[in-house]
Formats: sequence, C-alpha cells, structure tokens
Amino acid sequence: MKIAVAYKWAPNPQDAAVGADGTVDWGRAKASVSEYDPVAAELGRRLADATGAELVGISVGGPDVASPMARKSALSRGFDRAVVVADPALEGAGPTLTATVLAEVVKHVGDVDLVLTGDSSQDVGAQLVPAILAGALGWPALANVTAISGGAGDLVVERLQDSGSQVLHASGPVVLAAATDAVVPRVPGMKDILAAGKRPVEVLSLADVTPAAPVAATAVVATARPALAARKQHVIDGSDPVAAAAELVAALRADNVL
Amino acid sequence: MTTEAVEPDFDVIVVGAGVAGCVTAYRLAEAGRSVVLIERGEAPGSKNLSGGVLYSRVMEEVFPDFLTQAPVERRITRNYVQFLNGTSSVGIDYQDSRLSDPVNAVTVLRARLDAWLGERCEEAGVFLMPGVRVDEVLTEDGKVVGVRAGDDELRAHVVVAADGVNSFLARAAGLRPQEPTNHLALGVKAVVSLPAATIEERFHCAGDEGVAYAVVGDCTLGIGGGGFLYTNRDSISVGVVLRLDDLVAKGVPSSEVFEHFLTHPFVAPLLAGGEVSEYASHLVAEGGLDMVREITTDGMVVVGDAAGLTLNTGLTVRGMDLATASGIAAATGIEAALAAGDTSKAGLAGYRTALTASFAGQDMQTYAKAPAFLERERMYEQYGSLLADIMYGAFNHDLRPRRHLRDVAKRAFKRSPVRLRDLFSDGLAGVRAL
Amino acid sequence: MSSTYILVAGDARIDALVELAQGTSTTAVVVGTRSVAEAVAASGVDAVTWLGEPGDAPVEAYSSTVATLVAAAQPDVVLASSRPADRVLAGAAAAVLGAPAFTQVSAVTVVADGVELTRSVFGGIAQETDRVSGPAVVVVDGGAVTTGGSAAIAEVTASAIPTLTVTENRPAERAVVDLGRAQRIVSAGRGVKAKDDLGLVESLAAAIGAETACSRPLAEGLGWYTHDRYVGVTGQQVSPELYLAVGISGQLQHTVGARGARTVVAINSDKDAPFFAEADYCVVGDLYQVVPALTAALS
Repeated sequence: MKIAVAYKWAPNPQDAAVGADGTVDWGRAKASVSEYDPVAAELGRRLADATGAELVGISVGGPDVASPMARKSALSRGFDRAVVVADPALEGAGPTLTATVLAEVVKHVGDVDLVLTGDSSQDVGAQLVPAILAGALGWPALANVTAISGGAGDLVVERLQDSGSQVLHASGPVVLAAATDAVVPRVPGMKDILAAGKRPVEVLSLADVTPAAPVAATAVVATARPALAARKQHVIDGSDPVAAAAELVAALRADNVL
Repeated sequence: MTTEAVEPDFDVIVVGAGVAGCVTAYRLAEAGRSVVLIERGEAPGSKNLSGGVLYSRVMEEVFPDFLTQAPVERRITRNYVQFLNGTSSVGIDYQDSRLSDPVNAVTVLRARLDAWLGERCEEAGVFLMPGVRVDEVLTEDGKVVGVRAGDDELRAHVVVAADGVNSFLARAAGLRPQEPTNHLALGVKAVVSLPAATIEERFHCAGDEGVAYAVVGDCTLGIGGGGFLYTNRDSISVGVVLRLDDLVAKGVPSSEVFEHFLTHPFVAPLLAGGEVSEYASHLVAEGGLDMVREITTDGMVVVGDAAGLTLNTGLTVRGMDLATASGIAAATGIEAALAAGDTSKAGLAGYRTALTASFAGQDMQTYAKAPAFLERERMYEQYGSLLADIMYGAFNHDLRPRRHLRDVAKRAFKRSPVRLRDLFSDGLAGVRAL
Repeated sequence: MSSTYILVAGDARIDALVELAQGTSTTAVVVGTRSVAEAVAASGVDAVTWLGEPGDAPVEAYSSTVATLVAAAQPDVVLASSRPADRVLAGAAAAVLGAPAFTQVSAVTVVADGVELTRSVFGGIAQETDRVSGPAVVVVDGGAVTTGGSAAIAEVTASAIPTLTVTENRPAERAVVDLGRAQRIVSAGRGVKAKDDLGLVESLAAAIGAETACSRPLAEGLGWYTHDRYVGVTGQQVSPELYLAVGISGQLQHTVGARGARTVVAINSDKDAPFFAEADYCVVGDLYQVVPALTAALS
C-alpha cells in the first residue's frame, strides 16, 4: 500500500502584520508545516507502520517548499520520502490550483491508495483542498476523520458528524481530511530530524505536473482592513470591583443582553 | 554497564542559532568540520523579535558580501546623544561621512538577520536543526560529550554554548554562577512601523542612511539605564535598557518606564502615526569584563551573550559585533583543538587566546570599568537638567544682560544637587572607564 | 441572466446561500432524502434537481455525479454551505470547472466574463475584493432553513461512487461545543494566571448561562481548553449576544473571531489593552477582583 500525506509549508496569520489599507505583510511570519498537517502525518505513519505501507509526503508551493528547512521539518514528521512542486507560480496559490496540482503529484507518485490531509491550512484555512483534490482524482473525500484501520482496498474509516460518529468502508482510493484532534502528533526529536535530513526528496517544477484543465485566474481588485463594528467603548473603573460589577450589570440589563 | 567510546554524531554541536552560534558553525563548516546547529525556535530568528545596531566590519571578515547580501536595514551615519529632562532636552548631534565609507554600523532586525545567517550556514554544510530545545549537557568523566533533548542524545567532540544571556548550558557545565542582578539589565523594546519616506524626513537621512539615538536622563524615571531609538528601513526600534537591581529596588513596572519614554514630549513626535508591530522585553548582560569568566571547559566553549560578551559603554550598546568576534575566535580555537585531537580545556585554550587578541577582547578590557561608572545615579537624573539649565541661561533672552557662559554654568551648578567634586569624580571615572 | 448552482448535501439550511444568489437564476442540486429536496424546493430557489434516495452510500459518494451535472450546466457561480459533506460536493465542482474556490465571502456579483466577490482572508485579518475570469465556487455558512418558495423537483438518475459505504452510525460520546450558536460566551485569556483559576471564569459563565471559551494560548500552548473552545483566526468564529472577554489583551487575531458579537465586554488590568478599542464595556481592573464581584452581582 502507498499512502500520500499532503502538507502545506505556510506562514501563520497569527504573525502577519496588516497595513492600514488591508495589505498583509508576511515579512515577520515564518513558514512552517501548517499546524494541522502533523496530525495527518501521524495518522498516516501509524497506518503505514501497521500495514507496512510506504508514507510519502507531498506538497506544492513557492520555491521555499523545497528549502532545507521545509524538507527537514516535513520529513521529521515521519514520511519515508517526499515529492514537492516548488515553483514561483504556485506562491500563494488558492485552493483549486493547489489541489489540482497536488492531484497531478498523486498521479506522478503512482499507485497511491489513500491521500491524507490536515483539517485546514493555517494561512488560507478554506478546508477545500482535500475536496477539490478528490474531485480532480475522481475519488470520494471525507472530512473530520478520527481513525483509520485496515489496508489497501479495505479501509475502515471513522469520522465525526454533528450527530455523532460514523464508520465507513472504503474499497477503493479515497481522500481523507483528519479531524484537528484525531491523534496527538509526535514532536520531532533530534534523531527524527537527523534521519529526515537523509531521506530523499524529489523536487518538481510546475511544468512537470501541469493539470490538464487550467484554473481561471483571480485578480485582487482591492484590499481593506476588516470593518470594525462601532462599539460604545464605555470605560468602567474596576478599582472598586463591587461598584464596577454593579455598573456593568446595570448597563447590560439596560441593553437587554442580560 | 561499561562505557565505551561512542563514535560522535558530529565534530561540533552548536546550541543557539543567533549571531555567535551561526558564525561559529559557519566557520567550522567552511573548515570542513561536520556541524549541527540546534535552535529552539521554529527557525533561526523566530524567537528574536528585536533588532539592533551592528558594528558591521567584523561581520565582513566572515561574510565579505555582508553589506550587499545580508538583510541590512540602514547604514548609521548619524549618532545622536540626548540628555532628556521633563521639559527640556540637550543633544549632541554627531554626523560624520567617515562613518558611512567604509560602513561602520548598520541597523538590523534579528528575525531577518538570523534567518539569513541560518541559510548561509546551511549552504556551508551545517546541519540546521530548528524546533529543538536542549534539556541537558551530557558529561562523561567531567568532560562534555554531547547534549540531550527529549529522548534523544547527540554526541560531538565539542559543544558550543551559544544559547544567549541566560545560558543554561554554561551554567549546567559549571562555567557561570547565577549572575548578580547588577550585571543584568532588562531591555524593553518595540518596533514601530512607519513609511520609509516619513523616517527619512523626520530623521534627516537619505537613501539607506540611518540614525541612532542614545538617550539618558528623564527617559527612565530615574532608574539606572537609558533609552535608545534607531531607524530601520521602514520602522523604528525604540526601547529602554534598565538596570535590573535598580528596577527591582525602585519597584516601578518596566512597562511604565517604557510608556513614559514613548510618550515623552521629545520622543513621541518621532514616532507619531506609527504602528507598534512588535513588543518584547528580555534580559541583557551589561556587566562588561566582570561577566566574562571561564569560557572553556573540557569539551565545551561558550560564545556571545552566553559568555557575557556585551558592552554598555554609555554611548553604545554592543553585543552583536562581540558575538561575531567570539564566534570567529571560538572556531579558530576549536579547529586547532580538533586538528590536534585534544578537545580538553587545555586543548581548547586557543579560543581565549584568539578572543583576547581580537578587538573584542581588547575592548572588553578597555571598558572594564564602564558598568560601575554607569551605576552612578547622577548620570541618570542630574546631569541632564544641569546641562539644560546652562543652555537655558545661554539661549533664554529674557531682556537681562547676557552673562558669560562660565557664570551661567556656575549659577546652574548652584541650583543643581550635582557638586563640583561629583563632576570631577564622575569625569575622572568616566575618562578611566570609557 | 446569470446562473447559480447551489449544492446541497443532505441539509436544507441554506437561506444564506439563497440570499447570496439573489438576482440570478438558481438551481439547487440536492443529495439526500426526498424530504430534504422538498425543504430546499421551498427555500426560494428557482429549480431543484434531486439525485434520489441515497441508500447506504454517504452523500460524499455522489460528488462525481454532482460534478458532471455542474459541468454540463456551466453556471457562473456555484454556492455551497461550509458543512463537511457540502464542501466535498463544492470541491468536485471546482475541480471539474477549473474554478477558483473561496470562503468567508460577503458579496458575489456576476460581471462581464467573470465574477467579482468580496471576502475576508487569512482568518479575517483583512478584506479582499477579487475578480475571477470565469466561474467561481463560493463556500459560506449556509444559515438556516427558510420557506416561502415552491420550485419543481426534477429527479435524475444518479450513481454513487461504489467504493464507499456507511457501515455504522454511533451517537455522540463527548458533546462537542458549538460556540458558533452560543448566545452568551465568557472567554478567558492569558490574564488568567493558573489553570486552577479558570474556576473564576466558569463560575461567571454559569451565573449567566454562558459557554466558556478562550484565546489561542490557553487552547494550544497551555492545553487548558479543547480546540472547539478557542476563538480566533484559526479557531472558532462566534456571534453571540454577549461576549465577555476576561484577561484577553485583544490581538487582531483573536478579536476577528468575536466580531460578530452584539455586545462585547472586556475586563483587563491594562487600560491600553487593544481589546478596549473593540469593546462596548471596558472594565479596567484586576480580573481576580472584578470577576468574582461580577459573579456575585449576577447570582
């Protein structure tokens, strides 16, 4: 069996600065393996260990995705090898372009039985890449997956829904997005990182894996800071806690929120 | 259980990917040694929110293309020393084209500089290992043989402690006792974003030129220390450095001192309209030579801030150039020790020799008494108003006949609690220390 | 007239989608039971295409059929709710159309040769208006059920991807908090010094019947709360009647998660806490004194 884990090398909006005109400055935000992707990697590693499968990390993005830092950081999560598409044209790619190129990488890797992803990327956070990737491959997709067992062509998948959990059987290839807390990912140790430095990484350019159908272009017309709701900003001095509490409760009652 | 000689994983383990650690690792990798550079942050620079003035010539020894390739913010061509009082300010404005060519000092933001240094290290063959927090120094028969992080151990002939002012490694190896607080200062810094054009207009600097302010007096609410302000490309780094013992004794929150400085009528206009993009406080060593004790032990050396290599000369706070120099010296000493097959304390002695011979070692000697000098209270409170009174007397045309400047000074002295003998003593101490 | 396809995966709560599609000809493609198709037909869409009873295949197994229908129709805009199964249908449509896909969209306009839309990006730290040179797929919160319409239901023969079947449904064990629907929320931040002190916050929440929530460090750094209680850019986006922030400084990345709140109260000892600029009531004081006093005043 062959398992691919799609991961993203992305900055965290937590560290971005937003200008007065809404432009986002990523200058001080360092890229990392997107925060939920290690959950998918861990889920994949455990299944691979249980079934003797090969675990391949796949990623697409700008040139940085092939940097030594990105390679080691990704491979130390437990992949046997990685295949990445590092191309300036993919810098800041949206979900559809990202997913359709990932689909070509899955075909390039060949004989993949299962693609795992994290719940969402830390920068864009659309939760759409696994769905579009499955669409491009003609496979089904499931999100909020908490457990996977079995082997190729005979996978048992458990996923969370509003009403509870559901168990499904997959007799063919499938794309599964891991729930954010499906498993607790390992914290890579020094030996993991050392080993990661020795594992093979295949670096492709977009020309090697161009999707058959082009994705329509998107142009940014305008940016803005998020609109702030007008707030009262009524200051209550808390140095006398009892008086402050009384004032606040009275105000909230007057506003009909209590 | 028998202890066998385990084959080391690397020739050298460097802990901490700041300036000193990166320079040491880079030099040793260039010399063909296998080096792992362990960094606690997710990437070099990710734990470092600040920046600073870097006296860059020593960096050019390591990276000849430093000024053109590194993420340098601005070349400092103007130094401004400001004595700040509540309602007055006296400044010494020093501009000199000789500071520009060759370039003497530049401003850098560490998040960018450290990332760049990390990349240079990787290109030179250093195995960079970010996101790892070292828990323990491994010793065998009193010799440092490696480090442990979590469940993993790594071994090397030499471990380099480049883990900053709080160096846990240096303490664990018995190289440094807990510092007395008068050797430590608390730095509170912010980076304020402003358009490059606004900075150039406010600070009268063109192109990639920049300004560094050293501020003493009212900026610290009477607490030992000073303020600084310097220009980056499109931001201003601003902060205060406060003597920890005095801060604790006076019981004033450091945030209050910082706030006071930022809102001071002579400082606020420089920052007006800017957005605070980063805010951080951290400890700085400013103990001078007193803090530099043992820098080698069997199997280990200490570099940069971890070795206490910081200088507060009163007018300039230096650390990164000394860190660079110590990295160069450490790499020289370690390379010699590895070549000779002796990484004991005696074998590593070449580090101290090289450091002492370098400008860094010389400067640490030159400024040996600076910290004690800077502890004199008068420096922070009284000289500023004394100077202002003198200037006021000279410039305030209140329609009375002008007095000779010497008389103005004498009158100002009479009102000031600073006594002439203090001035003499401080002057003498200052000349000796600085 | 421009056309919109609304994709529905077994849940008729789509009034926000119908609203967004106003002024276009709307066709809903429904995967799910007949009753879902009927509810969708009543929601104000112009036409409903129903794929028939789904049997023991999960709705996601119909993604290929839905994609084929969308590809044949070539609509200008495809809308879907952000629920997990609906996203799978939307993803298949985006792949087959080669259409960019967007979330957090507040406005969609069909323009000459494309679509213009306004959305919040990167977890809400900024707004962006984009122009797409072709069809666009838009995924937003579906909203609620609405009635008043009466579209005809056309049933088509559909085949599910045969390799995926449901074998078991289990009722929920741990109740996952849905902060998105909470009416009152008391949220704790770094001002709370120790885990044991969360009792203060929880007592206050209990006193006003609120859910407890937190800022990011408490969920991800300290692990005091589970992820479903973390409000912020990479966590939950909430819109309660009352959001009471205790000891949260108010970084943009947190406050974007609570912008939908009707009334915001912030309690912080720092009079300059950024949260106060986004709060209706700014209580400047020590939370360890103010919160117990507030709980007492409400009990």
